[in-house]
This record gives sequence, structure tokens and C-alpha cells, in this order.
Amino acid sequence: MTTQIARWHHIPPTRRRFRVASRWLLQAAIVAVAAGLVAWLGFAVREALARKGIQFSFDYLGKVANFSLSEGLVPSHDGNWPVLEPFSPSHNNLQALLAGLWNTLKVAVSAIALCTVFGTLVGVGRLSTNWLVRNLCFGLVEGVRNTPLLIQIVFWYFAVVLHFPPANAASNWLGGLLVSRAGVFLPGLAISESAGLATWALLAVALASAAASLLLRGTRLRLSLLAIAACALIATAAIGFPLDFDLPIATRFGARGGFAVSPEMTALLLAIVVNSSAYVAEIVRGAIESLPKGQWEASASLGLSRAHTLRDIVLPQVFRIVLPSLANRYISLTKDTSLGIAIGFPDLFNVYGTVSNQTGRNLEGVVIVMLTYLALSWIISACMNAINARVNGPGGSR
Amino acid sequence: MTATVLGWLRYNLFSKPFDAALSLVVIPLLTWAVYGLAHWILAEAHWEIIGGSLKVLMTGLYPVDQLWRAWFAVATLCAMFGAGLGLSLRPGRAALTVVASAGTLMSAVAASVTDMTSGMLVAASAGLGVAAWIGVHHSALGQRIVLPGLLVGVAAIFVVLSPPGFEAWGGLLLSVILTITVSILTIPFGILLALGRQSRITSLRVISTVYIEVIRSVPLILVVYWVWIIVPLLAPDTSVPSLLRGMAGFALFFAAYVAEYVRSGLQAVPKGQIEAARSLAMSSWAVNVDIVLPQALRVVVPSLVGQILDIFNGATLVFIIGLTDFLRVGQMILADPQNSGRTYEIYVFLFAVYFAIGGAITYASRRLEAHLARGSR
Repeated sequence: MTTQIARWHHIPPTRRRFRVASRWLLQAAIVAVAAGLVAWLGFAVREALARKGIQFSFDYLGKVANFSLSEGLVPSHDGNWPVLEPFSPSHNNLQALLAGLWNTLKVAVSAIALCTVFGTLVGVGRLSTNWLVRNLCFGLVEGVRNTPLLIQIVFWYFAVVLHFPPANAASNWLGGLLVSRAGVFLPGLAISESAGLATWALLAVALASAAASLLLRGTRLRLSLLAIAACALIATAAIGFPLDFDLPIATRFGARGGFAVSPEMTALLLAIVVNSSAYVAEIVRGAIESLPKGQWEASASLGLSRAHTLRDIVLPQVFRIVLPSLANRYISLTKDTSLGIAIGFPDLFNVYGTVSNQTGRNLEGVVIVMLTYLALSWIISACMNAINARVNGPGGSR
Repeated sequence: MTATVLGWLRYNLFSKPFDAALSLVVIPLLTWAVYGLAHWILAEAHWEIIGGSLKVLMTGLYPVDQLWRAWFAVATLCAMFGAGLGLSLRPGRAALTVVASAGTLMSAVAASVTDMTSGMLVAASAGLGVAAWIGVHHSALGQRIVLPGLLVGVAAIFVVLSPPGFEAWGGLLLSVILTITVSILTIPFGILLALGRQSRITSLRVISTVYIEVIRSVPLILVVYWVWIIVPLLAPDTSVPSLLRGMAGFALFFAAYVAEYVRSGLQAVPKGQIEAARSLAMSSWAVNVDIVLPQALRVVVPSLVGQILDIFNGATLVFIIGLTDFLRVGQMILADPQNSGRTYEIYVFLFAVYFAIGGAITYASRRLEAHLARGSR
């Protein structure tokens, strides 16, 4: 660097000015070329659309959609209260896109949670001392990573979920889980109508004190908060619990009750969770192997069991190492949900396709969808960066 | 003998109570699954469907009287693959045995499920590949002409295959050609983007960074679909075939990923080398082309080979623009009500082929990584 500065000072002032000017000219030329390219693109597209009699505008978002979606909730208002209601053809196009976004988020959030858990298990399994478990996990990871995600999705849908028993003969697993080709029904929570204000208030007190006991430190405070929570819960139960388990039941006309998951969502979720778990497993395995061997040996010499070492020594450190890679995986996973279109799952990309087919407005839609995916990616990396700063930052324990 | 087996079992499956418990759960489940699968494969599955639709699976709706063009492409691809192998893998006895037995197996399968001619052609293509492998490995001239040879090969495939129209391309052949073309297209574009992102010129740096970050945040399917829509708007008078539009979309998308790999390679080149080159009064162009890129690209070769797998796996998404790739052809066969009971046969075959190709690419990438790591130590 010093040689450059020295050289710079040896250049005569006129030539120095010329060099500065030429660099600025280069900058300006590049900006002009890029701007020209974008302008040409925009202009050509506008021309082409104008020839078809279409103007670039976002007015179509307010128009009535006139098509239906198999699932998806849209924000609406019930009097003064904001509520989520199922999408119907009388909603407008913007609400259709929001329903698509809702479906995307639904799959992405559940898949992120599930693949982290399963991925960690498989990653640990790849380092198991049991030969069979180790190689099974290895085979699973390699099989998943070396085949396209799309074939996994269509396989889960056409070859697995659609071969489940029909809805009227749904098989019942573990007492409360109904599995049929019309979807999977999980036990849900139902609000009983008889519950008064007092029971709700008591339940709120119980939940609030339980949450506070988790957040606050200090043993005595925690104990008293837990005691309050327990008392409030017992009191609620005594005067009539406001929430009931709503178990799904198979009837002759299909399953009823519970929390229904559509067959498309079931297949997409299964495929994405299995696929991402394989990648998470590789991330976790790499992180475990990157820890110094001495840590295992030190804890073994202290008499800790392997499971104990893993739980209390290794995994807490692994959690810190893997955060950036996990963030990338979560972003890929969110983008992967767009493949749901292959099995007819109405995610954001699929709804965008329907809306553009109905209105002929592809380009406006592309702008919206692109910005939404950008925002999702940024939100995920911002969250992960915040967690990273918390556990690895100056205030962290490392 | 028994003692060794028992010792192995004891060490690997029952060394601790927890491992023993795991084994006791896993072994029966695995036995049941393997038995069920084997029974299905050997006794229940109707594999005639694969033989009957092998032509469609491999080439889609390519006209039957023009199939010699597809065979030319297969032979060229084998030669290109062999030449690429010649650069990286020594044709030792073990490697040759594996390749030769794979070739024999494939030609035997082709001969038994279709006809003798196909078997002979598969065998000839495999032989050509092995010849190219050995030829390139043992001659300096061969190694020098591999890269131009690959470009000529791709161009020849396009020229020979295109007369029946790009719409006729399909099946596994379409997936493979798309993968190879896109892999080649992304490299120069990706290098330019990476250099742009490292450039001292601010505007260039900002534009490259924005391009890379935006493309990396959106799904591939969106980019492919968008390019497919926008090309007819930009060139209303010419009709660009869907295949070429799809390839453009893939190339624009994966270039951003190549750029990030190349950037990591650029960062691996010690700064002192750039400063030394500059102090020898080399121009920026000469520093990049002669000093930095050769070293940077060497480091990223394994990642670039790994990326070929991503492109190959992503190639299934072309269904969105109406192309019939390998997976789509399989689904089309199943859409025929006659074949509705053959779901598992078709999917198992598709999975097996995808896994064989994907596994080979992963293996090559790992080998190259190990090879480079050994070289730099």
C-alpha cells in the first residue's frame, strides 16, 4: 500500500487530475450502461404490454379474485377486531396473495422447527458408536442429498399420501392422530362456549406467571411464580376449563374435528422436513467433528458418559458454530416451499401464477413475489444474526 | 471365523447398553423393511413397464426415425465425460474395472429390455468414453484440447439434435444437456460477477453485489418462470424456444452462486501475490488473468463440480415452462390410466437413476477436494 501512495505522489498533478477524472468517467459509464440496460428492459416490456393493451399498474390487486384456493387464511376484520378468515372467491387479489404467503409461512415455519430437531438427531446418529445407526443415517443423508427435491415431493404426494386409507376408513395412530388420503388430522384445542370471563382471566394469570417464571432468574421468585401458576390452573379447572381437547373422529363421511392438515401440505411438509433434515444433519456433524477431540477425552476422564458429554459439553458449543449455516439452510428451505406448485399446494408462487393467469399481470406480480421472498430471506437472516450476536457476541459466554 | 464375527458384532452393535438397545430396535425394523423391499423388487414389481417406456424415459417425445441423433448425443456425452475423467482420475485397474462393469451392465440391460442394437450402441458409447479417458490421461496434447473439446462437443450435440425442433427434446437426455450447457454458461458469467464484486470501482461492486444477493434470495423456479415470460416481450418478432429461455433462466440464477464460490476462491489467494504482481507493473487485467484466477479457480473446482449436482437436481423444475424432463416424463407415463398401478416401479427407477448420477457427481467432487488438499499440503 505504501508503495502505491508513494507512487501516487510522484505523478505530476496534471496527470493525477486526469487519472481521477478518468476513474470518475469509468464509474459514470458503468452506471449509465446499467441504468440504460434496466431502462431498455422496462421500456421494451412496457411497449410489449401496451401493444396488448395492458398498462403497468397495481390496480388489479383491489379487484375481486373470483377463484378459490384449497386452503389459506386472509386477514380481515370482524367489526373492529382484526381476524383471520378462510379465503373465498369474493376476496380480492391482494388477499389471495396474502393467503398464499400465509400458506408459505405455515409450511416454512413448521418445517424449520421440525428439521432442526430431526436434523440434529440424524447428525448425532451419523457419529453414533452403533455401526448400524451410523450407516443408516449416512445412507439417509446421501440418498436425500443426491436426488432432486422435486421428485421427493411428488413421491411423497403421489406415492405415499395419496395411498393412505380413504377418509372414512382413516387409520388412527396413538389414539388422537387420524391419517387418511384426505389429510392428516391432529388433536386440536377447542374453546368451550360456556366459559366465562373469570375462567379466561384465571387462565391468563396462570400462563403469564408460568412464562414469567421461565424468563426471570432467582430461585425463590421462580418457585412462588410457579405456585401462583399452579393455583390459578387448579382454580380454572375447578370452575370449568375453557379449553377442551378436540379429538378428530373418523365417520362414514370422512374425518371430523381436530386440526386438519391437507394432503398437499402433509406431503410438502414431509418432503421438505426429510430433505432439510439431511442438510442440517451434515451441518451438525461437521460442527461436532470440528470440536477438538480433547473435549471428549477430558469429559470421559472426568467420568461423564457419552450421552452426558454430548448433551452438556458438545451440543451447546455446536449450537453456536452452526448458526450461520443453519440460517442459510432455513432460507433455502423457505425458497423450496415454492415447489409446492408441483402438487397443487397453494403457496405464494402458486397463487401468483393463478392471479397472473386470471389478470394477465405477470410483471407486477413478479415484483411483489420477488420482494416478498427477499423480505423473508432478510427476516430469517436478521433473526439468526440477532441470535448469533446474543450467543456469540461480547455478552455471550464464549 | 465365528469369533471374528461375534467380535465385530460385539464391538459395533452391542458395545454399550444403549447401543445394544438401539440395535435391538433397529435390526428387526430394518430386516422387515429390507425383506419387504426385496420381495417387492424380485417378486411383485412389474418391471416390463420400464423396458416398454425406456425410449420415452430417455428421450421424451423425440421422433423415433431420428433417434440416431440422440445416439450421437449419447456417444458425444460419453466421450466428453471420459475426457473430463482423464483430467482428474488415473485410469487404474480398479477404476477401469468399475467403469467397464458399469458399461457392460448398462449395455446388457439395454439389450435385454429393448433390442440388440441399443445394447451394442450403449457398449460402443461406453467404449468411446473409456478410450477418451485413457487418451486424455496419457497425452499432453489431449489434456490441452479437453476444454475446447468440451465446447465443441456441446455445440455438436446442439447442431445434431436440433433439426426435429427443440420442442421434441425430452427425458433424461434433456436433463443432462441442460445441466451441461448451464454449467458451462455459468462459469464465465460467475467469474465476471465475482471480479465485479471485488472490484475497486464502486459502481461495479454495488451492481454485482445487488445482483448476487437478490438472485440468491429468490427461488430458482421464480427466476426460470420470469425469464421464460419476459423473453417474448423483449423479442416479440422472433420466437425463442422454451428450452433456450429455460437455459437462460438457469444460467442467470446459478451464475450468482458460481460468483460466490469464485469469490471465496479469490479470497484464498494471498494478498501478497497481488501486491507483488502490481509491483512488477502488471496491469489489473494481467494480475487477474495470470495470477489470481488460475489459483482461485483451482480452489473452487470441487465446489463447481458439486454445483453441477444442484443444476441437475434443479433441472426437474423445467416442468413449470412446459418442458418434459426425466421426472416429467415419468409422471406423464403414470398419467396414462393403463399404468396407474405402476407408480412405485416408475418412481423407484427414477430415484435409482437420479441417485446413480448424483452419487457419481458427489463422489467426483469429494475426490477432487481430497486431491487438491493433498496437492496444497
